[in-house]
Amino acid sequence: MTWTIAVGVKQVPDAAEVGIDPDTGRLDRASAPAVMNGPDREALEAAFRIRDQVDGEVIAMSMGPPNAVSVLEEAVAMGCDDAVLVSDRAFGGSDTWPTSLTLARTAEALEADVVVCGEETTDSSTGQVPPGIAAHNGWAQLTYAEEVDARPEEDRLVARRDVEGGHEVVAADLPVVVAAAYGEFEPRPAPLHRKIYGENDFEPTVWDAEELEIEDEVGLEVSPTSVGGMETVDPVERKSEVVDEVDDLADSIEEVIV
Amino acid sequence: MSDDEALENGVVDVDEYDDVWVFIEEHDGDVMPVSWELLSEAKGLADELGDDLVALTIGEELDDVAEEALERGADRVLVADDPVFEPYRADPYGEQFRAMVEERKPSIVLIGGTHTGRDFAGRVAVPAHAGLTADVTELGVDDDGLLEARRPAFGGDVLATILCEEHRPQMATIRPGVFEAAEPEDEADGEVVEADVVVEEADCISEVVEREVGDTADITEADRIVAVGHGIDGDLEPALELAEALDAELAASRAAVDEGWVDGARQVGQTGKTVRPELYVAVGISGAVQHLEGMNKSETVVAINNDPNAPIFEHADYGIVADLFEACPALADRVEAEPQEVVQ
Ligand SMILES: Cc1cc2nc3c(=O)[nH]c(=O)nc-3n(C[C@H](O)[C@H](O)[C@H](O)COP(=O)(O)OP(=O)(O)OC[C@H]3O[C@@H](n4cnc5c(N)ncnc54)[C@H](O)[C@@H]3O)c2cc1C
Ligand SMILES: Cc1cc2nc3c(=O)[nH]c(=O)nc-3n(C[C@H](O)[C@H](O)[C@H](O)COP(=O)(O)OP(=O)(O)OC[C@H]3O[C@@H](n4cnc5c(N)ncnc54)[C@H](O)[C@@H]3O)c2cc1C
Repeated sequence: MTWTIAVGVKQVPDAAEVGIDPDTGRLDRASAPAVMNGPDREALEAAFRIRDQVDGEVIAMSMGPPNAVSVLEEAVAMGCDDAVLVSDRAFGGSDTWPTSLTLARTAEALEADVVVCGEETTDSSTGQVPPGIAAHNGWAQLTYAEEVDARPEEDRLVARRDVEGGHEVVAADLPVVVAAAYGEFEPRPAPLHRKIYGENDFEPTVWDAEELEIEDEVGLEVSPTSVGGMETVDPVERKSEVVDEVDDLADSIEEVIV
Repeated sequence: MSDDEALENGVVDVDEYDDVWVFIEEHDGDVMPVSWELLSEAKGLADELGDDLVALTIGEELDDVAEEALERGADRVLVADDPVFEPYRADPYGEQFRAMVEERKPSIVLIGGTHTGRDFAGRVAVPAHAGLTADVTELGVDDDGLLEARRPAFGGDVLATILCEEHRPQMATIRPGVFEAAEPEDEADGEVVEADVVVEEADCISEVVEREVGDTADITEADRIVAVGHGIDGDLEPALELAEALDAELAASRAAVDEGWVDGARQVGQTGKTVRPELYVAVGISGAVQHLEGMNKSETVVAINNDPNAPIFEHADYGIVADLFEACPALADRVEAEPQEVVQ
């Protein structure tokens, strides 16, 4: 059997470039360039490792605005066989409930056996989308996965999971959603010919909400949560006294340590 | 929206929902400290709302856990006790929790933001069409009794207030270490309610093949912490020497945890614990936003780093630009030589 492995990749503002607008004192996200969510590179690597073990195909999927095509091109350059952009104005204002529904239906439409996601994003970082996809489809899930081991003969995927105070090895029936533990899947370098193909020739499939038959189940209306307000967090005031000698440091902290 | 449309969208009559639920997470009889932190915090919420405080626990042989939850202020404890729940798996937990929520209609459900809590919470919230706020660090209620859950986003640069106005329950996962657990009272006068177990082993779609859990240290209560980062290069000795001299608990950045040098239970930061010690010594830690988020509540922060441009120095009270392999032992010696406080 050939495994279809779908990978969720999200476009996010470049964390390193998000600054505070000096005039308003507010976070200036609009001007930050959009990039692939860092942990999703590791999700791609985890998917490639599964493909190394079984006969399989890796398809990147992204829900986002039309310009999210760039993260899919990058995913193809990194080694994906294909990619789907799911894009619709109707998705505006979606919280994790409709977001995971959209990706769950996309995975179903792709007839995915495995969905691989990143641990969480660097923008809203809820980590709720992977279990949400599994819940919408009634599939098994393996979050905080540090190693993945395909068992095609059993129709199962085995993962070593990071849990409080240790590890466990869990075997899950297909189809399954994996969330790759951040820091455990160092992405392999993209081969040059894939880079050229991804950037110049590749066009992703584009689906809208109607295509997935979810036009009435997405967006602000069905989202149970809403953002009621956002405040910029003032950095904690610190003394920032830097010394060169251990003795001086010891004197400085004397009051705290006796 | 017409009433029919609203119902289709999962909108409910919010007046049918009351009580504040707290999930008590236990593994092999050990309760995660965050559960007791939540129970203390939720008591205030329940009092403010005039609701009951209900503890919910899922596992096997839970009598002691249930008893302690009552001693710690729960008005009622809901227990789902069955071998199918030990060890933890997302699918049976999610299914059972969801059934209890749908039957009993709580208004607020709080779950510790541990790997376990974050793993199954969505399996309750999705089928129940409940709002699920992630990684909350502040809780309150507004004038209408609506839960205001505040959470850091964009690497901690922003604190967002998340509301769940028309759906129930209002669910949230809460970051470990941000609230303080109160001591248990002696008497336990609430009741224990056994819930129907709705899950069968034959329906489970996952299997725990192996489980190794050792270090479940709780760094969130420590008064002093020495935290190590990638700069230690696999050698814990200098930091341990300093930790011993200071009588401090060992903690780590995610980079040091990912390398396998320190156990994940000791990780500080966005995806680890929030700590609030009197003294936090960051050894060979660069000071990434995701790390700072977990240590910002420390009273005094000291940084040891050989790169004068490391961001950690801006977020420390005292810093030394030095090789940690020299500075840690030297500081440990100085601390040990320090005369003890003279009683006059
Ligand atoms: C400040 C702020 C706070 C928010 N807080 C909440 C909240 O508490 N609860 C809530 O329900 N919603 C919340 N939202 C809405 C939520 O951010 C969106 O629904 C978002 O699209 C998905 O959540 P995430 O980025 O946290 O994904 P995560 O769950 O952190 O993402 C995990 C992985 O899922 C995959 N993935 C996620 N999104 C996509 C996508 N669009 N396309 C492809 N793959 C994807 C990726 O592999 C990713 O690594 C918040 C939004 C903002 C702006
Ligand atoms: C979604 C997400 C969640 C995350 N969650 C967390 C989290 O919870 N906690 C966390 O910590 N990180 C988290 N991170 C990772 C974070 O972004 C940083 O990568 C990480 O904190 C870096 O760890 P570090 O400072 O130990 O290592 P580095 O950044 O590699 O820094 C090592 C430091 O050691 C110094 N050094 C090296 N040698 C010496 C020496 N001999 N003497 C003195 N100093 C020396 C260097 O100058 C450097 O400053 C997260 C990242 C993401 C994307």
